[in-house]
Amino acid sequence: MDTELVKGTLSLLILSLLTRSSMYGYEIAATVHRDTDGEFTWREGSLYPNLHKLQADGLIVGEWEEKETGRKRRYYRITAKGRAALREKVQSWNALRDAVSRILEKSDGKA
Amino acid sequence: MEKLEQYLDQVCRSIGGPRSLRQHVRQELREHLLDAVAQHKAAGMSEEKALDRALEDFGGPEQVRSELEATHGHRLMPVVIDKAMQWKEKTMRARWLWTTWAHCGLVATVAAEVLFITFAVVFIAPRFEMFIREGWIGIDRSEPLIAWVPGFYGFLHWVANSTTWLLLGAIVLWGLFEWRVRGENKTFMRLSAFGTAALLLMVMVTLTGAALVLPVGVGVRALHERAPEAVVSNQLASIDAAVSAADEALAKKDWEAMREHLNQATSSMERLNQMGAAAPTLASMREQPKVDETRTHLKEASDALRQAQQALLDKNSPMLEAAMKRFHQAYGQVRQ
Repeated sequence: MDTELVKGTLSLLILSLLTRSSMYGYEIAATVHRDTDGEFTWREGSLYPNLHKLQADGLIVGEWEEKETGRKRRYYRITAKGRAALREKVQSWNALRDAVSRILEKSDGKA
Repeated sequence: MEKLEQYLDQVCRSIGGPRSLRQHVRQELREHLLDAVAQHKAAGMSEEKALDRALEDFGGPEQVRSELEATHGHRLMPVVIDKAMQWKEKTMRARWLWTTWAHCGLVATVAAEVLFITFAVVFIAPRFEMFIREGWIGIDRSEPLIAWVPGFYGFLHWVANSTTWLLLGAIVLWGLFEWRVRGENKTFMRLSAFGTAALLLMVMVTLTGAALVLPVGVGVRALHERAPEAVVSNQLASIDAAVSAADEALAKKDWEAMREHLNQATSSMERLNQMGAAAPTLASMREQPKVDETRTHLKEASDALRQAQQALLDKNSPMLEAAMKRFHQAYGQVRQ
């Protein structure tokens, strides 16, 4: 799959995943990989600048948690502002998807 | 896991913001990569391959760094250091070019310094010393700024007289170095030697320049202030002595001595002839008491004007009038 397309939807995916539960970075990446059956190919390093940007915008918050193994993980959870932003993003995504689909349907077979 | 830390260094070192933010980002990325390594190992990979795969999936350090910098900003110094290191890596490939350039530059510097000192010792210093000897420039040995100058000229003479030995010594030392010293640092040792020589010669050049300039700066005032009679008298005495000796040599028909004394007389005569103050001084020397009296009046007039200025500052009208009266009396005598 086109990595640029994935990159453009990354904040939508992150906000969406965090509505399920709070997650840490690797968990988000692993969940995307699992839920898409490995269809999404992306540079995992791109995840963190997006997470930090969303946090700076107040859409998510991150907190360190220390596990029994001694490992520390930064869990992110979505905020109320983040949920509102997610709704807008979902609407925009649906509108975009419908618009693109209509164009593709009308152009079907002419590629 | 050294490779992992090097990767994290490359990614995190130039992220802007406080140090604690960099530490948090670094730890977060490390935890992610350790999780990825553990998963790949669980799938059967060796630790080394698992780490390579985790880093590959994560993305190149430049890309991740630039994305993090776009979010957090970047620090200037690490960027500058990175650029410098890249430049160093590039330039080290052309090491011979840089060392050759450094040798040529240092040799040219040493040669230019030696030329300057030689020129100063051969052409300028003798004239300068003549000026000092004949009183054109006064060296006051109690003046710390220039008290060292005569000693330095002595040192320059010693260097000039010992040039052959000094050059031979330098050539022998260089030859021994090239012959005996071996090792990968030889080029840098040679460069260090040239650099040290250039530095020492630069000190010599600076002192030589100072020895030529400072006496003029300090002594020119003495030249202006001194009475011209002394200089003219010196020249007259020199001419009298030379001519008298020449007459004796003529009587003895000693042509060699004659030529020497005539040369000296001609030189002193030309100097006297070229001196603008010579003729008025010779004329006034016939009336020396009058000249001394005029000097006294000049000093009185000058003192009176200075007192008038002070009275003006003090707003002391009687004192001002008295000072102006004294001035007119003294200055009137000068103008008569």
